[in-house]
Amino acid sequence: MLLEVRDLHVEFRTRDGIAKAVNGVSYGVDAGETLAVLGESGSGKSVTAQAVMGILDMPPGRITGGEILFRDQDLLTLKEEDRRKVRGAGMAMIFQDALSSLNPVLSVGDQLGEMFVVHRGMSKKDARARAVELMDRVRIPGAAQRVRDYPHQFSGGMRQRIMIAMALALEPALIIADEPTTALDVTVQAQVMDLLAELQREYAMALILITHDLGVVADVADRIAVMYAGRIVESAPVHDIYKAPAHPYTRGLLDSIPRLDHKGRELYAIKGLPPNLMDIPPGCAFHPRCPMARDVCRTDPPPLYEVSEARASACHFWQECLHG
Amino acid sequence: MPEQSYEPDRAIAGTGAGGAMDLAASEAETLERTPGGPQGTGPQAKPRSLWSDAWRDLRRNPVFLVSGLVIVFLVVISLWPSLIASGSPLQCDLAKAQEGSQPGAPFGYDGQGCNVYTRTVYGARTSVTVGVCATLGVALLGSALGGLAGFFGGAWDSFLSRITDVFFAIPVVLGGLVLLSVVTSNTVWPVIGFMVLLGWPQISRIARGSVITAKQNDYVQAARALGASHSRILLRHIAPNAVAPVIVVATIALGTYISLEATLSYLGVGLKPPNVSWGIDISAASPYIRNAPHALLWPSGALAVTVLAFIMLGDAVRDALDPKLR
Amino acid sequence: MAEPILEVSGLVKHYPLTRGIVFKKRIGAVKAVDGVDFTLGRGETLGIVGESGCGKSTVARLLCSLEQPTAGSIRFKGEEITKLSGRALKAVRRNIQMVFQDPYTSLNPRMTVGDIIGEPYEIHPEAAPKGDRRRKVQELLDVVGLNPEYINRYPHQFSGGQRQRIGIARGLALNPEIIVADEPVSALDVSIQAQVVNLLARLQKEFELSYVFIAHDLSIVRHISDRVGVMYLGRIVEIGTDAQIYDHPTHPYTQALLSAVPVPDPEARAHRERIILSGDVPSPTNVPSGCRFRTRCWKARERCAVEVPALAVPEEFRSTAGPAAHDSACHFAEEKRVVPPEEVA
Repeated sequence: MLLEVRDLHVEFRTRDGIAKAVNGVSYGVDAGETLAVLGESGSGKSVTAQAVMGILDMPPGRITGGEILFRDQDLLTLKEEDRRKVRGAGMAMIFQDALSSLNPVLSVGDQLGEMFVVHRGMSKKDARARAVELMDRVRIPGAAQRVRDYPHQFSGGMRQRIMIAMALALEPALIIADEPTTALDVTVQAQVMDLLAELQREYAMALILITHDLGVVADVADRIAVMYAGRIVESAPVHDIYKAPAHPYTRGLLDSIPRLDHKGRELYAIKGLPPNLMDIPPGCAFHPRCPMARDVCRTDPPPLYEVSEARASACHFWQECLHG
Repeated sequence: MPEQSYEPDRAIAGTGAGGAMDLAASEAETLERTPGGPQGTGPQAKPRSLWSDAWRDLRRNPVFLVSGLVIVFLVVISLWPSLIASGSPLQCDLAKAQEGSQPGAPFGYDGQGCNVYTRTVYGARTSVTVGVCATLGVALLGSALGGLAGFFGGAWDSFLSRITDVFFAIPVVLGGLVLLSVVTSNTVWPVIGFMVLLGWPQISRIARGSVITAKQNDYVQAARALGASHSRILLRHIAPNAVAPVIVVATIALGTYISLEATLSYLGVGLKPPNVSWGIDISAASPYIRNAPHALLWPSGALAVTVLAFIMLGDAVRDALDPKLR
Repeated sequence: MAEPILEVSGLVKHYPLTRGIVFKKRIGAVKAVDGVDFTLGRGETLGIVGESGCGKSTVARLLCSLEQPTAGSIRFKGEEITKLSGRALKAVRRNIQMVFQDPYTSLNPRMTVGDIIGEPYEIHPEAAPKGDRRRKVQELLDVVGLNPEYINRYPHQFSGGQRQRIGIARGLALNPEIIVADEPVSALDVSIQAQVVNLLARLQKEFELSYVFIAHDLSIVRHISDRVGVMYLGRIVEIGTDAQIYDHPTHPYTQALLSAVPVPDPEARAHRERIILSGDVPSPTNVPSGCRFRTRCWKARERCAVEVPALAVPEEFRSTAGPAAHDSACHFAEEKRVVPPEEVA
């Protein structure tokens, strides 16, 4: 395993109390593999990623338990200085909003080049040359001319490519992409997703793709981990999960998206609201919204049951869900 | 959300609104009465407005409590100075000039033999009057002009923006020296008038900006789409959402008006004796600073504490109203 | 098609671009909407899809009289509404209401839910007698699936989906005939989107509403719409029934758009043709000559640069009665199925 998150717990102290954002998340990703972490807002998917990257705002955030092993080394015990070395060279992150992630007063060439100057000690001139090369890699037309342009002179899709180029700069072993295409239009979304998948193969990187969009995930992921209320409720290879989900939440999500290829009647809708992180329901956090909930669900939090070798589900009645 | 907070299955009969109730059984399932509702407030949450939230926040803020207490004290003694000071601030005895602390005059006497304690207590009235009136004037004039400019935009807005630029270019103290030196009336009103004249552009700029921000919200569009009049949109939708920054800036400005009054009085163009003001006392005491520092320190200290209290209050109010922290 | 309730023709909205503060000089215009025609039938849902910047939101604002069009006409039940003002405009507004995208900025945070939903009655006092308003507001809350006891709560005490329900209740208060919904679910979580879409569908039946449903999500638009118009750079490039547009698209932009939609089915990865468009949408200040899609179109030829294609049934399909015979603004229209037919499991 390149990266392994074990039983991670993260809380946020807010004015109204303690919000339990991540409650025992475990996942791993191998070199060259794409793991999609799927969840709605407040599921803890981004917080987990921020904890892995070491960019969680603390305070108000607090890691209250767990381990994050990267190449068998626990990142949480590292000094900030060593941690910084892992960032960039070991793992890099791509954010949803490329415009606010880029510095508006520096040209993109300078920002890309800075990576090489700081981490590799290159001269400014060499760094500039590498920046052009990178922009070529992410298929920005006319890279040699555009290297002097500023972020606002690029379109949304192009900016996201620059973000990808930046993440790739030091050829990290792992890239975490947090909703990389959510802010983009469909036609541009497809371009960027394709680019990301292609580069991943080319560099044999591991990719953690954080998203709420079941459609985007289906096209690129190898495995999917579905999160709800700060826990992983189901993890499975991508083909299995779409064919037969083993958790009622996953099933509900799949059933509630309208299809492009036919006109349905009424959409299935998961009832109720996502849980309040200050007051997560006891037992299974999903039970108030679950059509299959029984007494045991209200009291006993389900463990991650092994469904098959590569599959797990946190539902007491996963068998029922899988077959019904 | 605990289980108890769930509504029982909706009673389909009994709410015969416009034939709305013929729910298919399947829909009753999905279109549940959305449970609980309040986010992060528990099942028994009372309705809370942003203002009451801000108030709840303020009450817990020690900065607010301390500055609030100081301000309440100041207001009380400026209304009824005789509560804590006996005698008149104008009753001076040259024989006691520059004497130090003694019974009946804990702060000692100044160069004219006036009781520093009594004068400091009575001086609060001037400061509070000037501060409060100037702030009210500035806030009303500034937010009216700036708010209308921000709301309607166009030529009036451009014109007003240039005017505020011009006012910002006027040095306050120099302006005071020039304008107030021609005034003969020896009351607080010319000073207040001068402050309003030079102060409104600051508030107007803030008000304009926050009205423009509020104007862009969809709820303003929604009200327009309903056919709401300009006055309704301004008063119901924009003003309540644009007023917070104005309150914050005005509270902080209040402190600076108090110190500006002292400055002008010190320079001899603000209030003049026989008025009682900290600025006058500071000015009068400064020649004797070596012999009678107490005559300078007490009114200066009172001034500093007052200004600080208002600025801290403004700070606390800003923290409580800042939507970004919410 | 049902009797038309809203007819839009030649709708244009240009925003002038000026330079200078005192002496304003006009240096161009953002052509946000540049000649849009469509008809909305009574009780029908017209979906409008397009990418960001295509002008779909401006169309929504024009329909609700939040903006004055530069040119063109909007007729509500035959009456021209673009030139109205004062009382007449207010009367029309009762009948065309809007649901906004962002449930966080569309509700005034300083007003209670009761005041927000009751405000339409204060603006139009003739719609409900004073003593009746509270009951009406509670009924509306109930209709949109919220507890009527929440009437005294403030918007920030609700989640995004609940707020959107409040916004919908406000839109319904005056019993409008048309609701213009601008991306009503795109700010919501997946599991909440379905709830709101179902709610809108139910309300349409109950109150005999006509919808203009504007969104960028093609799957949701198909789900809710009877007819669909595809917009590109300020114009509708193709319009037809949902089956015509989704199963028999003839405009290359529609085809590209449809093929780019990720489908939640990994099996489909293999046998799906993907048309990846190159480049970005041109700026609306500098619209290409002729067909505005030609700069990204793989079929573009010389004719496309000179001649603006009209939105009409393309010649080659005019004689047939098949599903490909619908309005499409392309000189070289050609039917191409990009969404694979549903597989029978």
